[in-house]
Amino acid sequence: MIDGPRPIFVELADAIADDILVGTYPPDAQVPSTNELAAHHRINPATAGKALNRLVDEGLLVKRRGLGMFVADNAPELLRKRRLDDFEAQFIAPLRTEAQRLGISYAELHALLDKDHS
Amino acid sequence: MTAGISVIGLTKTYGDHTVLDDLHLTFAAGKIHGLLGANGTGKTTLMSLMSRHTFPTRGSVLLDDREFGEDPRQAQRLCFVRENQLYNDAFKVRDVLRIAPDFYPKWDAATTTRLVDRFRLPPATVVKKLSRGQRSALAIVLALGSRADFTFLDEPYLGLDPGARETFYEELIRSYGAQPRTIIMSTHLVDEAAPLLEEVVVLNQGRVALQAPLEEAEALALTLSGPTTSLDRWLQEHPDHPSLTRRTLGPTATVTTLGPLSDAESASASQAQLRVTSTSLQGLVAALGNSNHEVA
Repeated sequence: MIDGPRPIFVELADAIADDILVGTYPPDAQVPSTNELAAHHRINPATAGKALNRLVDEGLLVKRRGLGMFVADNAPELLRKRRLDDFEAQFIAPLRTEAQRLGISYAELHALLDKDHS
Repeated sequence: MTAGISVIGLTKTYGDHTVLDDLHLTFAAGKIHGLLGANGTGKTTLMSLMSRHTFPTRGSVLLDDREFGEDPRQAQRLCFVRENQLYNDAFKVRDVLRIAPDFYPKWDAATTTRLVDRFRLPPATVVKKLSRGQRSALAIVLALGSRADFTFLDEPYLGLDPGARETFYEELIRSYGAQPRTIIMSTHLVDEAAPLLEEVVVLNQGRVALQAPLEEAEALALTLSGPTTSLDRWLQEHPDHPSLTRRTLGPTATVTTLGPLSDAESASASQAQLRVTSTSLQGLVAALGNSNHEVA
């Protein structure tokens, strides 16, 4: 595995997806255009376009010809499902690995997880 | 037809010094290209040749597939404000801006006015008396205002403070977004400018060391580090990944190399106790400049 920054278009697509998940852009809302995103983030419009197209390919945005890009009706649901599917690999697996390295037992790990919850 | 600007077998020598050596390159139309590389590698010379400020020793420059000189209107499609641009001694900033539309048929007065204001350029000041940063700002105003089909920016940020550079980046994207055109920009602030670019060309000693889309170029740059003996063994077993630059620290070494690594290669690197990290584009440009390696 290589650690390091991910391509800008992936970062941007994830940032917009985050905004969809928390409702900053609710279903049917229009998201900024390629040029608006590019000027705001000072990135090449082709890069901004790639980010939007990635979200279209994932079914999170829909294109309306001549109007722009809009949040798909089921986008928040799709995102929540996808992130739940990834949750174990993304968060639990590294947690286990680091706990093992540090010699933290599962019981101690459970205790840590419960600590801030009570 | 190849839309864009191409150079074919372009060679430029001054006396017995070869600045550009049989260069073959195409800058595709409608994109922002970064022209990168160390000082003295021929970036400014290449831009001067492409914009016809100077003539090649051998080879030719094609604009949308047509050789320079066939059509005098070609000159109006180009804008290159040199880093050390000379202006009429008596000209004030406002004089330069008043005559500029005569040279550039697509002149964008609205953008120009906004830029003069944002850069706080003093219209009544004689150009000769401008500071380094103000001269750069004026060059940027002319280059973006021209909306020329082929616009060349040669280290356009010299003397500009970080705030003014941010303004420039924002205005570049805004202007390009409103009217996409071919923009070729040289810069040493590689990581700062990288997000603006779509394509990257790296020159080294008058030759093309790399031409690739930005994301490919960024994925190319890797560093490998770990115990010197296992690093050397790994490099020997993987000749596709040349060592461009190398530093040692006690019993460990760090090498810049070219990726990407296959899954098997990543696995063998981690087995050899090597850490693989991606390097910024700036790191890649620096490494290519120090190694004379050409990416096929």
